[in-house]
Amino acid sequence: MIENSFNRRDFLKVLGWGSATVALSGCGNTSVEDGKEFVTSYVQTADYIIPSIGTYFNSTCAQCDAGCGIMGRVREGRVLKLEGNPKSSINNGKMCGLGQAGVQAHYNPDRIREPLLRNGDKGEAITWEKALGLINEKVGGVRAENVAFLTGGVSGHVKALLKNYLDALGSGHHYVYEAVAPSVMRAANKKAYGVEMPRLRMDKAKVILSFGADFLGAWISPVHFSQQYARFRKADNGKRGVLVQVESKMTLTGANADRWLVIRPGTEGIFALGLINALAAAGLSVPGDVAAVVKEYTTDRVSKDTGVPTEHIAKLAALLKERSPSLIIAGSAAEGYAHGSQNATAIALLNQVLGNVGKTVEGSSGIPFPQMAPTTGNRQALQILNDNMAQDKVKVLFSYGSNPVFTAPASMKLKENLKKVPFKVAFAHYMDETAVEADLVLPLNSALEDWGTVMPEYIADGAQLNIRQPLMEKLHPGTLGMGDILLALLKQRRPEEYKGYEDFYSYLRNAMVSNKGALGGANADDNTFWEAALSHGMVKLVGSPINISSHVSANGLVVPAPFVEDSTYPLHLIPAVSASLRDGRNANEPWLQESPDPLTTIVWDSWVEMHPKTAAKLGIVEGDIVEVASKSGAIKAQVYVFTGIHPDVISVPLGYGHEAMGRYAKGVGVNAFKILDPVFDKETGELAMHETRVKVSKAGQRVIIVKDEGPAGGNQMGRKIAVRMSSDKVNLSKEV
Amino acid sequence: MYCFLRLSVLLVGLIVSASSYAANAVQPLTTADDLGPKVEQPIEFPHDRHAGDAAKGGMEINCMYCHTYARRSIVAGIPPLQKCIGCHQSIESVRETPRIKKLFEYWEAKKAVPWKKVHDLPDFVRFNHERHIQRFVFAQNKPVQEACGYCHGDVKTMTVARRQKPLSMGWCVSCHQKDHPVDATSTKTTHGPNDCWQCHK
Repeated sequence: MIENSFNRRDFLKVLGWGSATVALSGCGNTSVEDGKEFVTSYVQTADYIIPSIGTYFNSTCAQCDAGCGIMGRVREGRVLKLEGNPKSSINNGKMCGLGQAGVQAHYNPDRIREPLLRNGDKGEAITWEKALGLINEKVGGVRAENVAFLTGGVSGHVKALLKNYLDALGSGHHYVYEAVAPSVMRAANKKAYGVEMPRLRMDKAKVILSFGADFLGAWISPVHFSQQYARFRKADNGKRGVLVQVESKMTLTGANADRWLVIRPGTEGIFALGLINALAAAGLSVPGDVAAVVKEYTTDRVSKDTGVPTEHIAKLAALLKERSPSLIIAGSAAEGYAHGSQNATAIALLNQVLGNVGKTVEGSSGIPFPQMAPTTGNRQALQILNDNMAQDKVKVLFSYGSNPVFTAPASMKLKENLKKVPFKVAFAHYMDETAVEADLVLPLNSALEDWGTVMPEYIADGAQLNIRQPLMEKLHPGTLGMGDILLALLKQRRPEEYKGYEDFYSYLRNAMVSNKGALGGANADDNTFWEAALSHGMVKLVGSPINISSHVSANGLVVPAPFVEDSTYPLHLIPAVSASLRDGRNANEPWLQESPDPLTTIVWDSWVEMHPKTAAKLGIVEGDIVEVASKSGAIKAQVYVFTGIHPDVISVPLGYGHEAMGRYAKGVGVNAFKILDPVFDKETGELAMHETRVKVSKAGQRVIIVKDEGPAGGNQMGRKIAVRMSSDKVNLSKEV
Repeated sequence: MYCFLRLSVLLVGLIVSASSYAANAVQPLTTADDLGPKVEQPIEFPHDRHAGDAAKGGMEINCMYCHTYARRSIVAGIPPLQKCIGCHQSIESVRETPRIKKLFEYWEAKKAVPWKKVHDLPDFVRFNHERHIQRFVFAQNKPVQEACGYCHGDVKTMTVARRQKPLSMGWCVSCHQKDHPVDATSTKTTHGPNDCWQCHK
């Protein structure tokens, strides 16, 4: 009865008075809670530590493999925020969003806190003594060649210890695997210039022509390249460099370019050879053998093959001829095909013809300690491991720093093959897809509470040994550093050699101090040298410079004709590497899920990027859920209609679609790695990431895409805040 | 009938609201004492023994000998355990007393003493010790115990410290409205800042 008569209006009146009361009582003294909170002081502390005032300690970022130097602001024993270390010549005090999220990797609630041993479907917490004893027992029970160690890219003292452990076991099976790596480019560079990773001097270039290298977003060392790019844009002589980006799907770098040329997927090599021909026609001196190879790549043919209008090819050739030195970069868009090596070689040839080698493409520096030099990975290593597992050749498998169950295409059947391995050990921060499959999971310290050294692969000049040191006490007493675990395992095998080292810290300190002469501390006493190294967060190394040679031969360089149409799978799938999520290892950091994709502004989900023309043809609008099917599998995701993509191409970002890992990663988006076709680069055997052909069909539902971009899209609500101009209205020749 | 029911519900609501408002509303603009609750500490630290007058058996140690951060940080801070031990390792006479034994237990276990916060401001208030100490102790040459005592009361007479003042906004403002000489010698006066953002930032 009373319910009927007591209507909504009256209810709101009472509610209103109630909330007013609550609001008023907030003005009082009620929040002073004497004697409720603890105020814990230090037991012992240095004089410079003052409560409430931050102290900065240097270390090395672990969010990607670029190896930027970081400074952590520490207050009351907690690390609060990371900044770039100004002394590091990789990032010079700057930092990216991915690096900023490093504190979320550290404080993550889903971190594993104690060693877990498989008991049926569950992980049972065990002690470290038991876990390490179990490893000793298992590796002792099998032949050495049946032990395999799978890692991501490793360097520094952990790499040296890992090698010693494998030597102690008598097994050389160390597979280094990186899911997203410029492996084809490294091989092509080695062939063309004699070094895998030449130094790209963007600051010296007057024109940059980049074939899909997203060097401002996710390519090799983006923070370093961003600074070089800034100097390229505002050169000391006042002349602004011109960036031309050629790719099939717009990247962040493409969005920053003066001229973005959309190209048919896979025709990058043809475009490069066509440019050489156009340059020769414009009067650039081109060696006879090269001219002979490129002469059939006439501008008309190249325009037809690549879809780039003839006038743009001519303008670009004129620009490159006029402004020297230039810099031509081969990125993932060029190398992701079965003929990726040829594409990369054609692009290297263009650099050579333009005379850039030695000017903007420089040699690197040798590394004085080869045992600590970075080991770069590729997908071929995973393929070999997978084959060995399928043939029951692997009895004990260690996995560290990679998540192959997530990143391997479904066609590899890696998960099934993994089940054939009787004992699998995963060193992990989270229960990711690979750790879930493991028999023993060993929890690692976060990068902000761990000791170690990192030798970055790409550094502007010289060489550098980065120090990683704890910024605070361990959050969870049950975790250990990788170095500590390897040292404990080595003590099982070579007790005499390693018994003097209580922990990895004492090993590291001893290893550094006893080599201080070569590490630039010849005149300092041990403590001074060590304290300085920790204080700077790095040690500069003097390596003999490796000179660059240029001997790209045009002979035998064949770039295949463009793809033929496939009526069943008419579209090309480009798996996009985003600046935040990369290969998905950081997907459980909510800041990264929350930070909008720079081009689409989408958050917390995967999407299928599609050209408006393609969408219209298929009757698709933004927000439609579509099924993207390849020969190897299918995924479902929302469509985002976007003009920055070739009409024959759709793109899905990588890193989403975790089935495990943690509360922020699990179930968000779909995993595009899974549907990649097993097509490989013919020369290097690398997985050709851009070769997958797909068909798209509507799945029926439609959603509202969660994105930062307003409902008016690019219209700016009619206010014309940023004036837009269509690209064909821009006259690039004015720049010359 | 329904109407009466409705009215009664409304009236009850009103009375409850009004009475809870009344209980919280009045914040006196006064410096009168407002004794906080007794706080149980892991070790009953005798402030009177350390800072009290010599005539009463105290040692007259300056507040800032232990709360050394007060002049350079927004918090006064609890001294690190090593500071207690620094003196007490040479004071044999009290070495075997229960409190000191407990202190050394913490020290030997390298464990921090879990002190309870006695003066706890809400998180939206930013009180800066450094500003007040610099002004009153170093610019105006006020005795340290007097300056600290404006907010903390006569700590030198207490054992375990207890909140003496209301620490409410009205109470803070009542002091900020008074004129103070800018330093020890000047005749110029000024009052404390009254901008909201000085404390609420």
